[in-house]
Amino acid sequence: MNYSFDFASVFRNFGPLWEGLWVTVQLTIAANVIGLTLGFLLALLVMSRWAVIRLPVTLFIEFFRCTPAIIQIVWFFYCVPMLFNVFLGSVTMGIMALGLNLAAFNAEAYRASIQAVPREQLDAGIALGLNPFQRILYIVLPTAVRNSIPVLLTNGIGIFQQSALVAIVAVQDLMYQGKTLATQTYRPIETFTIVALVYFALSFPVSQIVGYLERRREAMAS
Amino acid sequence: MSFNFAIVLKFQEALLLGLWTTLKLTLICIVLGCVLGFLLALARTSKRAMLRGVSGIYVEFFRGTPVLVQLFWIFFCLPLILGVELSNMASGIIALTLYMGAISSETFRASLKSVGREQLDACVALGLSPWVRTTSVVLPQAVLRAAPTLLSNCVSLFKESALVSAVGMADLMFVGQNISNNTARPVEVLTVVALIYFVIAFPLTRAVTVVEQRILKRLAV
Repeated sequence: MNYSFDFASVFRNFGPLWEGLWVTVQLTIAANVIGLTLGFLLALLVMSRWAVIRLPVTLFIEFFRCTPAIIQIVWFFYCVPMLFNVFLGSVTMGIMALGLNLAAFNAEAYRASIQAVPREQLDAGIALGLNPFQRILYIVLPTAVRNSIPVLLTNGIGIFQQSALVAIVAVQDLMYQGKTLATQTYRPIETFTIVALVYFALSFPVSQIVGYLERRREAMAS
Repeated sequence: MSFNFAIVLKFQEALLLGLWTTLKLTLICIVLGCVLGFLLALARTSKRAMLRGVSGIYVEFFRGTPVLVQLFWIFFCLPLILGVELSNMASGIIALTLYMGAISSETFRASLKSVGREQLDACVALGLSPWVRTTSVVLPQAVLRAAPTLLSNCVSLFKESALVSAVGMADLMFVGQNISNNTARPVEVLTVVALIYFVIAFPLTRAVTVVEQRILKRLAV
């Protein structure tokens, strides 16, 4: 191998990478806000008694879970403007596509932990005369959210990584800036290595926290 | 606006060809990735700190970076480093196998943990060699327990395989995007492509649940 590395060429052009990272962070945070709230709503709907509500929501969730994220994003960018005649900024579109994807995955996480809330607690809620809304707010929500935190965090990092896909539809995130820089400087190895390291540096600590939470729960359970 | 889904039928053959590439890539990477994943899981539970460290860094790195970045790295950087031209297919297989290896190793590691310490002691007492212990005692149980998660790893891999379109491999996604750009009918074409992915992935996710219940029943006995 006779390749001379030149990492300095990447650091000289770090400006665009910073801007890209900022877009990536924005995408991740906004998508997580949508995913955490809409996901919970979807989880409640998917457990509804009425099939009219249950079926469409199930279909929505399964569709987002069973197709590649890249086609969801491409579909969103090409088809939503045509179908609904709306033209939003590319970052907003990216946020919506990623947010809906995350909502579907989070809905499953919430559903699993809601179903793990013991039946007796709900009965106790009825006995105490709480109305359905209060039962959800004071009994189901706190337990379910606490139990689903590890999976929600994992999904959150997942969407941080998936956010790189918006580079394909030319949203100027970290991946996109990295790609541009690699072509401009003819330094793909250095650029992509640094881009990979940036992604890694941000997602690794969160995955360690997840591991810690899971270990602590196992310790508490046993 | 009017839709014309019949237009997709005209490109049936191209789409099928793309689907075949996607499936071929997925299947090859599942097989290679599972083998790699099992070996990695063994390395991560090894007594040697060196093996543990290297395999740990590898797995964390592949789980901690976007698959798209991994793909770009392997497509553009590996040929430079190795000094040999790699075909699209070869690069795709390398990238997705490495990814599958990383995610399935976590699955195997969890299932290896569930093989009781007593059983390993029993193997020592019976005088079995490490090879026999691994292949006849550990492997069958680990695979059985890992099966449901492994199956959902396979579904993930199938979905992630669509990313190879970004580096110009003619898989289902790539063919679909090409057709949609050339016919200017993204709604019809992309929707059909998404449905094709769905039709394959959805039954598999249902199968995960069935397999899970079966195995739970079997292990309970």
